[in-house]
Amino acid sequence: MQRTKRILNSAIAGVALSVALSASAQAGTLTIASPQDPGTWDPIDTFLVNWASVATNIFDGLTYRGPDLELVPGLATEWEELDDGTRIRFTLREGVTFHNDEAFNAEAVKFTFDRLLGDEGAQGPQRSNYTAIESVEVIDDYTVDFHLNEPDPVLLTKLAGYGAMIVPPEYLAEHGDDHFNTHPVGTGPFKVVEYNPREDVQLEAFAEHWGGAPKLDGVTYRFISEPSTAVAELQSGRVDIVIPPTIPIGMIDTINNHDEASIVSVPSPTVEAIRFNTQSGITADERVRKAMIMAVDRQAIIDSILAGEGEMIASFQGAQSFGNDPEMEPLPFDPQQARQLLDEAGVEPGATVQIDVRGNDATFGEVAQVVASYLQGVGITASIQPYETNVLLNDIIPAGRTGEMFQQKWGGWTFDFDNTAYLMYHTGERWNPYDSDAELDEMLEAQRSITDQDEREELLQAIARYTQDRALEMPLYSINALYGVRDRVQSFEPAPDNRMRLTDVDVAD
Amino acid sequence: MAKFLLYRILQAIFVVIVVTLIVSFAIRLTGDPAVMLAQGAGSITEADLARIREALGLNQSFLAQYIGFLRGLVVGDFGRSFMGGTPVSDLIGRALPATLALAFASLFVSIVVSIPLGIKAAVSRGRWPDQMIRIFSLIGLSFPNFWLAIMLVLLLSITFNLLPPSGMEGFSSFIMPAATMGIILTATNVRLVRTTMLDTLRSQYIMVARAKGLSNNVVLYKHALRNCSIPLITYFGLQFGGLLGGIVVVERVFNWPGLGTLAFEAVSARDYPVLQGVITVLSLMIISINLLVDIAYGLVDPRVRKE
Repeated sequence: MQRTKRILNSAIAGVALSVALSASAQAGTLTIASPQDPGTWDPIDTFLVNWASVATNIFDGLTYRGPDLELVPGLATEWEELDDGTRIRFTLREGVTFHNDEAFNAEAVKFTFDRLLGDEGAQGPQRSNYTAIESVEVIDDYTVDFHLNEPDPVLLTKLAGYGAMIVPPEYLAEHGDDHFNTHPVGTGPFKVVEYNPREDVQLEAFAEHWGGAPKLDGVTYRFISEPSTAVAELQSGRVDIVIPPTIPIGMIDTINNHDEASIVSVPSPTVEAIRFNTQSGITADERVRKAMIMAVDRQAIIDSILAGEGEMIASFQGAQSFGNDPEMEPLPFDPQQARQLLDEAGVEPGATVQIDVRGNDATFGEVAQVVASYLQGVGITASIQPYETNVLLNDIIPAGRTGEMFQQKWGGWTFDFDNTAYLMYHTGERWNPYDSDAELDEMLEAQRSITDQDEREELLQAIARYTQDRALEMPLYSINALYGVRDRVQSFEPAPDNRMRLTDVDVAD
Repeated sequence: MAKFLLYRILQAIFVVIVVTLIVSFAIRLTGDPAVMLAQGAGSITEADLARIREALGLNQSFLAQYIGFLRGLVVGDFGRSFMGGTPVSDLIGRALPATLALAFASLFVSIVVSIPLGIKAAVSRGRWPDQMIRIFSLIGLSFPNFWLAIMLVLLLSITFNLLPPSGMEGFSSFIMPAATMGIILTATNVRLVRTTMLDTLRSQYIMVARAKGLSNNVVLYKHALRNCSIPLITYFGLQFGGLLGGIVVVERVFNWPGLGTLAFEAVSARDYPVLQGVITVLSLMIISINLLVDIAYGLVDPRVRKE
């Protein structure tokens, strides 16, 4: 018994000691909870948004796009479109070095794109976004020409992120791809000092960055996938920022009620819609689809279920998307007219539809239930069919095995309607299992070869109106990206696309 | 003994083959990882998918893939994660110690608490200490572990800010996860110790020992406990195996960097090599634990040793 008591005493002493030692936040460093470890930091290996939220601090692209979504010079100081948009000449920034002291020059740019478009790139998912590039030609040390197969109106935006991040040729030649995955080197404002797979990645300020030294000394990203755990860490002060997509709507109040933390939100590119099977069932009739849209009070859903953290959309894109027409109105909430349209279409009261949803998406589960009850109001009985997310995305939707309606959540970091519209509406695309419309196909193809941006914007807006006229989906809302932020974090500007540069961020102690 | 070991090793190989075959086959039913890797990449064509599948070795037949996996296994190579290409052995090498440490800590908590309590309950059978211990054990059994975990976090991390809510950084981060697992194990173990002890206390040699005039503590801890230890060791040993598998939920709540978290994420990402690796390592461990339990019998029980 004496012994047990001694063990117990030393255990209690241990607790007290470790509590005393666990000083929460360190001066000059920021701790961020990210929901996913991409497993590799090589830009050509991944498409994950949580890769980008870290890597945007490690790497630079030729162009740069910050939280205001304006394209500005990055590693290229200026560019010029030549030969009807099939050649782009970039003038490169001089005096830039990688974290390993390797010099940045035209060779590094050529190397980066040869790699992306060559064998290494072919093994990853990034290459297909850059296939408009035929080759990169070195003109002199600080000038390169991009030769294009066809004009790509979104290319300059794509050069600001993901696969187009500039990598160091000598470092890669010396250490190889595998080493680079876990020990990445770029020209960005922070360099990686330690990476513990599935646990954390630690960055240190790179004072020689061309854009000026960061204010922070360092940043640690901890990978925490469980939202309640990430929020508990934020509440206890061991994490300063929880980045999206982590915080569920239901936890907003918990964070806002905390003395030293709050929610900061910003409109994101993510939009949600309930799309229709336009081929069979009652939803094959355009009037029925319109009636269903009008039967649902979408604003009420945003206010009550999303806690106001969203905005109604008229087509399948948010307000910041290139191709969104601010003049275009969503179809009105009008159950009266909805009933009339259903009558015309000969739909009897009691007709049934099935809505397929992602089973792990609690918020959307509620949304779907409210939609179902609005549909009940016009005499349509909707059943909700949850699927495991990956199964819904990979097996049910592309194979055309959905019910009459299905949830689609979408968001492209380029904020360009082309990325959405082409994949959703063009005949034969994986996200378009049911519809085929020659007129729409033609418009979608036409906008891809137009380099005049005003003309292209008009055409994208026309596409958006066309999809509304045919009621191809029930557009619901764009959702805000939710960041949980401790009060000690200064000058934090939430990024709509989750790619936060932390150069200007600081912490107060 | 040599024959016994050889038999056990052959048995282990057979079990590993069956288990990995089932796991490899089952995870391939969940769908195409190439699609997972590519989604979100914008426009993706069938040719892109085919290239990714080839890079991952998924263009081969299931049998070829499985034989490749077994061949790697022989030399200790589990392949590479589909998510980023980290060698699976590296990932397991990081996660296994974390899981083992947590499992040991939980088992330790439960043994240290349940043996004295179980004995106390047995000797005071039917009287109030016994009743109290049995009621508490019933309460402990009724807690779902994730609920207990979340309650501990709310109380100790958020309200009082005493312990880190997640991660594995030193002694303090062990307390809540080990207590969560430990409390639930203790609830079962107390009942087991009590029942075993009651059986033992009824036997004749205990009466003889008491008749010899030995003190109560010597009778209990030297004679009775030693005789109880065979069923207890078997049970704790098997429990340890079960713990390794059952730790997933607790690991997830506490963001513990162990095998459970690794396996959970591998399933959601369709990361075949990681899942196959984790399951293989787990089954090997459970097999070894069973073997160790058998060997431990011999150490505590001279009767088994002679056979």
